[in-house]
Amino acid sequence: MSEQITVTVNGDTVSARPAANTLLSTFLREELGLTGAHVGCDTSQCGACVVLVDGKSVKSCTMLAHQAAGTNVTTIEGLAGDGGELHPMQEAFRDNHGLQCGFCTPGMVLSAVDLVSRNPDPSEGEVRSWLEGNICRCTGYHNIVKSIRAAAKVMRA
Amino acid sequence: MNANTTTTSGIGGSVRRREDSRFLQGRGRYTDDINIAGQAYAVFVRSPHAHARINGIDTAAATAAEGVVAVFTAEHTKDIGGVPTGWQVHSKDGEPMAEPKHPVLAEGMARHVGDPVAMVIAATRRQARDAAELVAVDYDPQPAVVDMKAALAADSTKVHADLPGNLCYDWELGDKAAVDEAFAGAAHVTKLDLVNNRLIPNAVEPRCAIGDFDSVSGEHTLYTTSQNPHVIRLLMGAFVLSIPEHKLRVVAPDVGGGFGSKIFHYAEEALVTWAAAQVKKPVKWTAERSESFMSDAHGRDHVTHAELALDADGKFLALRCSTLANMGAYLSTFAPCIPTYLHGTLLAGQYVTPAIYCEVKAVFTNTVPVDAYRGAGRPEATFILERIVDQAAAETGVDPAELRRRNLIKPEQFPYQTPVALQYDTGNYEATLDQALKAADYAGFESRRKQSAAAGKLRGVGLSCYIEACGIAPSNVVGSLGARAGLYEAATIRVNPTGSVVVLTGSHAHGQGHETTFAQVVSDMLGIDYDAVEIVHGDTAKVPFGMGTYGSRSIAVGGAAIAKAVDKIIAKGKKIAAHLLEAGEGDIVFENGAFKVAGTDREKSFGDIALTAYVPHQYPLESLEPGLEETAFYDPANFTYPAGTYVCEVEVDPDTGRVTVASFHASDDFGNLINPMIVEGQVHGGLAQGIGQALLENCVYDADGQLLSGSYMDYCMPRADDLPSFQVDTTVTACTHNPLGVKGCGEAGAIGAPPALINAVVNALNGGGHPIAHLDMPATPQKVWAAMQSN
Amino acid sequence: MDIGGEHQIPAAREAVWRALNDADILRRAIPGCEELEKISDTEFNARITAKIGPVKARFKARIQLEDMDPPASYTLTGEGQGGVAGFAKGAAKVRLLDQGEGASVLKYEAEMRVGGKIAQVGSRLVRGAARKTAAGFFANFVAILGESAYGKP
Repeated sequence: MSEQITVTVNGDTVSARPAANTLLSTFLREELGLTGAHVGCDTSQCGACVVLVDGKSVKSCTMLAHQAAGTNVTTIEGLAGDGGELHPMQEAFRDNHGLQCGFCTPGMVLSAVDLVSRNPDPSEGEVRSWLEGNICRCTGYHNIVKSIRAAAKVMRA
Repeated sequence: MNANTTTTSGIGGSVRRREDSRFLQGRGRYTDDINIAGQAYAVFVRSPHAHARINGIDTAAATAAEGVVAVFTAEHTKDIGGVPTGWQVHSKDGEPMAEPKHPVLAEGMARHVGDPVAMVIAATRRQARDAAELVAVDYDPQPAVVDMKAALAADSTKVHADLPGNLCYDWELGDKAAVDEAFAGAAHVTKLDLVNNRLIPNAVEPRCAIGDFDSVSGEHTLYTTSQNPHVIRLLMGAFVLSIPEHKLRVVAPDVGGGFGSKIFHYAEEALVTWAAAQVKKPVKWTAERSESFMSDAHGRDHVTHAELALDADGKFLALRCSTLANMGAYLSTFAPCIPTYLHGTLLAGQYVTPAIYCEVKAVFTNTVPVDAYRGAGRPEATFILERIVDQAAAETGVDPAELRRRNLIKPEQFPYQTPVALQYDTGNYEATLDQALKAADYAGFESRRKQSAAAGKLRGVGLSCYIEACGIAPSNVVGSLGARAGLYEAATIRVNPTGSVVVLTGSHAHGQGHETTFAQVVSDMLGIDYDAVEIVHGDTAKVPFGMGTYGSRSIAVGGAAIAKAVDKIIAKGKKIAAHLLEAGEGDIVFENGAFKVAGTDREKSFGDIALTAYVPHQYPLESLEPGLEETAFYDPANFTYPAGTYVCEVEVDPDTGRVTVASFHASDDFGNLINPMIVEGQVHGGLAQGIGQALLENCVYDADGQLLSGSYMDYCMPRADDLPSFQVDTTVTACTHNPLGVKGCGEAGAIGAPPALINAVVNALNGGGHPIAHLDMPATPQKVWAAMQSN
Repeated sequence: MDIGGEHQIPAAREAVWRALNDADILRRAIPGCEELEKISDTEFNARITAKIGPVKARFKARIQLEDMDPPASYTLTGEGQGGVAGFAKGAAKVRLLDQGEGASVLKYEAEMRVGGKIAQVGSRLVRGAARKTAAGFFANFVAILGESAYGKP
């Protein structure tokens, strides 16, 4: 039996014994049923699985569940407020049509939240450069960039 | 078009999408998110060879491995039918195309890297993966053929030993004699050889399928990442597994992008459905991305020689094209029609070209099957035409915009019969050309070129005037062209007793926002609250029938079916209202959500009529059935013809050959718009894929048939910093033959963008002292730099 | 894909030749080699773990020595099956030149083909990996030769 880990996921304390080679993405999706983090590739390029670990964006397919022991993980399911009100980044994606099929969206939104926490007023170029690790096949990124800059404006206010 | 100015929830309003609430909170339900109690996991063993005889498969070790439920090979699946093809093309001599069997698991011969050879099912994904490693396949590698010209040589290795060669068909369209005559009298002839590079669709959600079997009822359920669940039910049930429709349910829940690659019926879908009944457990398979690269159908892959004849005034006299089109190792669902009826028929473009002749040889190779990918045949046609027109402009010294303008079909010429079978119903091509040139400040290009030059960059501008045939498709027309099914669409409108409405549509959304757009149409037509309309799609147990979503058909065909069903609801409502209002049915009009006696103030609301239909206390039971639910099938009278002009400016760094898109302007005519915000988003996405094809993406096989671009590290997907912000706008000529006047917008960007971009690169190099006639896609730094060094 | 190279070896040609036919020395010299079983004078079965870029796999390999011209040259052909990772096969023409005074030069020209996942995900890296493996082999080989009886005059 594997060692027990304790992780805070979306504010809840979770104790589990995932196998040593379980990826954080697999742990979230298959053991905790948090299917918002999507797996779109097997080479850590697509970014659909991005979650926040202690507030920093991480591709959850590049991290073992055991490496997340003792951290605070936020998935897309935990981003909205307790009362269900959308985070400004979610709101901006909706307002600016920053998503189509929705598959890359959780990773995009959480990456963007991390960006704005580091850089409250990113330029278009800075947003585009930050999104290097997130692939979207639907939107052409135009409205994603627009969404992120709109959210940053709201979050600055 | 400004997506933010309209607030109405009816037709024409940029309503925020209702599906976003779930997607933004991780509450979407994609196939891999579904887990059925007791499910087992399937992993496929795939051929690492492009062509190999399979002498034997030793499954003993895998079968004995921990957690393994079953290991299946062709020995077990030989009674399963092959994966069928939905279209039959005939050659010039009238003979039907070669149609080799496509077994669900390789039978004695693997024909491409990735061809499935065995299926391992185990209790966990990890056990299945480990056991797959233990399957020992005794391969005897055979010479592989990858290049299409080599495949057509008499001494080539044959992909299918039972066929005479690697030719699938040799098809033609148009009047060859008229074309030859026109060329003989031409003042100028432009010739061009082009390659339309092979692409890998790469929807970000990998394919996934779960089979479930209820041994008591005998019902099979398949959850799958499909753009058309009813088509999968039809093909898989009737041709592959012999399961009658009433015992087969296909569910395509939220689907993470398709772009054509999820239209087709794939072997894995049939195998999980079949295996679930064999092992008496639900069986789930989720593709890894590396598996997607070698098992999803690829796109494009044409090699073409084209010639354009012009008279002394620069009027086009004739066009002829000869194309080799790669089919891959087997025929995928739509494959035969892509390089023929979706390609050859589009070669008139926006122009009056009196004579056109096109011939296409489709070729089998030891590569993954090739089928429709966003645009499907139309990008290939547009690339040929818009490249050769540009080259003709360069050769004759006429401005490319001016040469195009001289040849455009004029508004008064509609309906316009082209020499390649299609009849365009409406359009105003000069209007979109003018709008695009103005918005992109085409006239001011020279000063921007100088600015770029001052910064050490070569700047180029490129145009593309595309047309596409969408709203696929009039059933009789496509039937006569070889389609094995009609391509109508179905919709049911169910009005609930208290007046809310459920719409069951055969269209399928995988990013297009139908739940929003279709609700706008219905609420607008019925005059009811947008939130009172629910859209249901993607489940054969709920929706009566449907042909699905591809070919930009959802609004033009699926939306039209919905509109037709709404009309039936209104017609029945009028009968009920006539009874309630004691008036003649002919005197009832339906306006603003109420049934009125014309010319009076007597009326019944839509809600009153709905309640009466279900609670028929005061109801004409002797002449009218209760209930308010109507189904309509809409078969389009013609294709729709979206068209537009794209203007692209690029900068080339002469030191590295790197191309940067400086600006991209798209003016499109999609007919009437239902939700301009969504339309804009569709254009953006199409442009990114078109620019991706022209600048970045390329599927590469080595001479042995090994797939070298098989990961996101090797296949260059467009990233955010590869693309500019786009400028898009629209003009409107309403489609004349569908009830909404709509044309479809899903594929335009991917069709129009590639030639605009390559034209801009060629223009930049020519303007920078490096005269070239053509550059094949993708315009990578290496290729551009090499072209610059060669002269 | 073709690679080649040339190595100075501080041992006499005869000694080097014998070492090149010694299963134990080959096993120790081949990077990642876990097992090498001599089937005959010219055939070996091996188990080798190799890593090419992101793909790490254990190969079951069959190695054959052909065109034997002792002590001057042979052709080594190998074919390895790496399960789902795919396969690798190659041939190396190895020549030994006598430099006199207990020294020789080994020259080789090899061509290599890979298939399956190795080609799909690692093709960019194969040449580098092959060079590194070859360099590792000869470094090991020279070192082992120095320690062993073959290298002693």
